[in-house]
Amino acid sequence: MTTLDRVRVPPTAPPSAAPPSAAWRTRDIVVTAVIGVAFGVVFWAWGLAWGAFEPLNLVVPVLRDSLYAVWLVPAVLAPLIVRRPGAALFAEMGAAGVSALLGSQWGVDTLLSGFVQGAAAELVFAFTLYQVWSLPVLSVAAVASAAAAWIHDWVLYYPDFAIELQILRGVLMAISALVFVAGGSVLLVRALRRAGVLEGFPA
Amino acid sequence: MTMSYLAPAIAHEQRDSLLGRTSPLVKLAIAVLWLLGLGLTVHPGPPLVLIVVTLIAGIELGRIPLPRLAARLVPLALAAAGIAVTNLVFSGQNADPAATELTRIGPLRITEEAVAAAFGIGARIGAIVAVGAVFALTTDPTRLVDALVQQGRISPRFAYGALAAYQAVPRLADDLATLRAARRLRGLREWHPRILVGLLVRAIRRADQLAIAMDARGFGSPDLGARTTFRPLHWSILDAVVLLTGVVLIVVLLLATR
Repeated sequence: MTTLDRVRVPPTAPPSAAPPSAAWRTRDIVVTAVIGVAFGVVFWAWGLAWGAFEPLNLVVPVLRDSLYAVWLVPAVLAPLIVRRPGAALFAEMGAAGVSALLGSQWGVDTLLSGFVQGAAAELVFAFTLYQVWSLPVLSVAAVASAAAAWIHDWVLYYPDFAIELQILRGVLMAISALVFVAGGSVLLVRALRRAGVLEGFPA
Repeated sequence: MTMSYLAPAIAHEQRDSLLGRTSPLVKLAIAVLWLLGLGLTVHPGPPLVLIVVTLIAGIELGRIPLPRLAARLVPLALAAAGIAVTNLVFSGQNADPAATELTRIGPLRITEEAVAAAFGIGARIGAIVAVGAVFALTTDPTRLVDALVQQGRISPRFAYGALAAYQAVPRLADDLATLRAARRLRGLREWHPRILVGLLVRAIRRADQLAIAMDARGFGSPDLGARTTFRPLHWSILDAVVLLTGVVLIVVLLLATR
């Protein structure tokens, strides 16, 4: 362990007292980027596993999409931690970019997906002026991100699906987003705070 | 899972090839344009032509060794085929009484129209896979970020912050091995969602150190005056030629199959 491990950024103000500012500290940038990169590796592994989940679709058509929301986690987790404008888009696109560079069956479309998924969550947080981080807001952001992904995939990958299946797919993705993205982000932030790595962050 | 596999630094041969020297932004622009163009058509022609063009360009102009390209494409092509089969089985046209029935698999009715549509979608995904693979195998991540900053006018603080984080990918693989070993030692299952918490804890600690080191060197500080660049990039004739070829190709393909 180096001496740097014990250095902490001195908080200029009590962390939770001041409203979150629009200015990004270097620490906010790098932590958001690192969350994006870590999930980029998760995305890449999830993409390879995605084919192995195919049998789920034989049980109930499109059942596999109930696992979809793993791809949406950084769009809520990163802004929940750093609380800066643009964090949802930055983290989600960073993760998408890393998984595309590592190799994904969705190629450059990963970037487009990351953009629409991150932008949808970003809009919800912008709507609260980046002031409200309650579970309902996180849930709305998660479902918005899933809705964007749902429309994108409808047009690009499942244009020929029957309409009932499109709706079922949407419902499964929304439930998936509530569990993995909203619930998962809250649990992850709680675990990270307990581990002591979120000192100096509002979360 | 070796480190070199997870941190794909591309070889000199690809980096100095024609496609390697093309601005990453030009390649990215063509890839996105092709993707949007393919979204406009269900005809299998345009994606099939793009697959052939992309693979030949990757091998001839990008100097990607064939085994390397194949190793990257095979697992992705299998996943792409899975999406095509899913479309075939769950196509809305299978339920259409007017559609021509081809065969029945148990309760499933497969129609000719659904086969045609699934083939088109399979070709589209194949094109997306091929373009993505050739882009990733001919693009140096550092050059990509340089281009984003210098040619794409992205904020250097965010671009280089992301690049710094990207360099941590091989360390993430090391961390994963350490965490799994620690779990094994404690008699726990090696794979568990909690591993993600450990990974993020270590990644954020490293990000904190990185941020302090970057701040200490005045990274992105407005007080230091104008920024100079270490690896200056310029637009070239090559960029213009590649961009024009890519644009003309997709426009002609879309018009020809309308």
